[in-house]
Amino acid sequence: MLNVLVLGVGQCGNRILDSINKEAFGGNGASKLAKYYLHPKFPSRVETLAINTAVNDLKELRFTTAKDRLHVPNLHGVGANRNVGKQAFMDNRDMIMGEIEKRGDFDVAFVITSTSGGTGSSFSPLLINELKRQYRNITVITVAVLPFREEGSIYLQNAAFCMRELMEVEAEGILLVDNQYIKRFSGDIATAYDKINGMVAQRLLFLVESLDSEMLSVTDLGDFKTVMNGGLRIGTMGFYQADSKNLSIRDAIENSFKPANLLYPANVADDAARAMVIIQGSREHLDVDEITKEIERISSSAGHVFKGIVVRKGRPKVLSVFTLASAPELESIYAQAARGMQDEKEKRSRARKQLDDAFAHIEDLEEIY
Amino acid sequence: MHRGDVFRMRRSFILSGSVYLLIVILLIQAVCAKEFDDDDDEVTFRDFNLNVGDRIDLGDYQMELIEIQSVRDGLVVMRISKIGGSLDEQRALLLDSSNNFDGGAETKGVTITLADIFDEQSAKVRVEYLPSIGTARKRASVRPTVAPDKPELSVEKIFEKNQMSVGDEVKVTIIVKNTGTGQAQNINVQDMPPLPKFIYVAGYPPKIKETLGPGESDSAVYVIDAVKEGSVPVPAMIVTYTDSKNNAKSNSSEPFNVLINPKSKADLAIRIEEVSPIALDDERLLNISISNLGTASATRIEVTGEVSPSQGLVASDLDRSFFEILPGEEANYSAKLSGQKAGGYTVHLKASYDDGDGYVIRESTAQLAVLEREYKYQYLLLIIPVAILVAWIYRRYREYKY
Repeated sequence: MLNVLVLGVGQCGNRILDSINKEAFGGNGASKLAKYYLHPKFPSRVETLAINTAVNDLKELRFTTAKDRLHVPNLHGVGANRNVGKQAFMDNRDMIMGEIEKRGDFDVAFVITSTSGGTGSSFSPLLINELKRQYRNITVITVAVLPFREEGSIYLQNAAFCMRELMEVEAEGILLVDNQYIKRFSGDIATAYDKINGMVAQRLLFLVESLDSEMLSVTDLGDFKTVMNGGLRIGTMGFYQADSKNLSIRDAIENSFKPANLLYPANVADDAARAMVIIQGSREHLDVDEITKEIERISSSAGHVFKGIVVRKGRPKVLSVFTLASAPELESIYAQAARGMQDEKEKRSRARKQLDDAFAHIEDLEEIY
Repeated sequence: MHRGDVFRMRRSFILSGSVYLLIVILLIQAVCAKEFDDDDDEVTFRDFNLNVGDRIDLGDYQMELIEIQSVRDGLVVMRISKIGGSLDEQRALLLDSSNNFDGGAETKGVTITLADIFDEQSAKVRVEYLPSIGTARKRASVRPTVAPDKPELSVEKIFEKNQMSVGDEVKVTIIVKNTGTGQAQNINVQDMPPLPKFIYVAGYPPKIKETLGPGESDSAVYVIDAVKEGSVPVPAMIVTYTDSKNNAKSNSSEPFNVLINPKSKADLAIRIEEVSPIALDDERLLNISISNLGTASATRIEVTGEVSPSQGLVASDLDRSFFEILPGEEANYSAKLSGQKAGGYTVHLKASYDDGDGYVIRESTAQLAVLEREYKYQYLLLIIPVAILVAWIYRRYREYKY
């Protein structure tokens, strides 16, 4: 059995973590009161911990137990300032790592964070370093959420610097979730957040369950690590559940790689470095020949593709995980962030100059009372 | 002392003594001369209290009280005699009437009047006479005193008991006792038993000896039965008798009351101790006491019991027999009850016994209830799950509350 640690850092990370806990109660079908009469059902031994400097963000959580909410005392958040956030982490490092240590030893850790916020973007790189230092054999996967582009230049700036730091740490890989991209398929922002959180939660738990299941065709944590080490070590996930009208496993696999079902905009044929396909469904739907043919088709353009098949009653479900050899969307984010930063800098110097001119009016004057 | 002085003293002493003697003689002569003067003039009298046998001597006359013949009639007998034999008469004297002998006091005879009769042994007599015939003097009788012949009967009527019950046999004892000094004769008792509250059984009329000497007594017993309840006055009983002189006498007993209670009977009461409701399939003892509240023993007591409805409450040992229950005592026993079906039941006990007059039946009933099966802590079936649920929800609430 896998020992899995799921850390939700910052407001975004906390909410996705809460969705994972909700998923353990039955996902979207779970009642708000499910926590009063059900036990969360995780596929493996999953320990969750929500970390935040803003206590109000922790209070918003509904399906995460109080003991799994860790408040890092730093007044009320870090105000999207990564430098403040980093200092807060360093000040509370022992306390944070002590809380994690209490939960035992782990094989794999998912660090879920927004790249744009204050706490998550500043804590996560440092936290991953500490995890790698403390747990020698742990596999750390970062689930990094990219911001809406219109959220503001600071968030873009944070995302740019955070991503760079995440790339530099020794984590096994980054799974990208692009809010801007997924929002296209949702309505208002609140609904979009809920949907994004739910999608991420569902896919992560499906992945954990699959890595720890008796499979017809085996994929395990080692295969997953190999996939995540491919290309830029940046990847994303796709998921598709066949509807009752079309139960074709081949179509399901194909659909799981389609842009509409991905968490980050990527073209598998052009950008994928390595991939993993995990298929779950009733035995009558799992035509191994069909599966093999489809995997081979994907392999021809996307490099090595691992496949795992889990026989479980129900319609076919397919989770695809792949790493990218190139990330053009990231480049555009960095360009946008740089522009924003430049604009900010210019705006600030203009304002400074205006202020200096204003001060010049009273330069030789003294206060008279 | 000188011899001449002694002589002179003796002479003066003799002289003065002679003077005194002369004076005394002169005084006596003067008194006697006066008496003789009176005797010669008129009749004198003198009263004497005489007992039977006493005599008055007056000159030649001798007057002796022979007998008190009748105190009631005022009649005594005296004998008057004269020395020389010229008079010897025994005469009955009537009270307050003068009796002249030898022509009476006026003619140098005597007049005797019976002034009073004290009792049957003594009387007061006045003797009138002329002093010239002598002086009347009393000579007490030298004959031994003869015991008076005076019978005195007491009569007593005794009931064996003052309180009895109807039907009880009572002995009545009549005791007649001569407490006097003479023989009682012609004794006759007149007894009036308190009829019709009693009836004769035996021994009536009581027979008492006809004569009873002094100190003697006789008794007779008769038996009667009390037949009617109530307070019964027992009248006085009269005894009549005569003494040796045929004087009729009588005496009576004191009347008194006796109480006749209603006839003694046994009276049984059955008491069934109150029993709290019996739980289903539970057992309980039913305590029964039979007490004799009557005044006679109850015998051959048979107690039978039955439960109605007959199904659902099983009673064992309800029936019981007793040979005798004495008055004021009680007999106790217990019956075992076993509730087998919920409901109300009646235990009916019937005791038949002999109360002395015949067979009597006494009955008693008691109500009993057999309860439905009690589910004492049934409410816990609701409360415990609710409490567990609330505790569970609260625990979860605390678990998720941040």
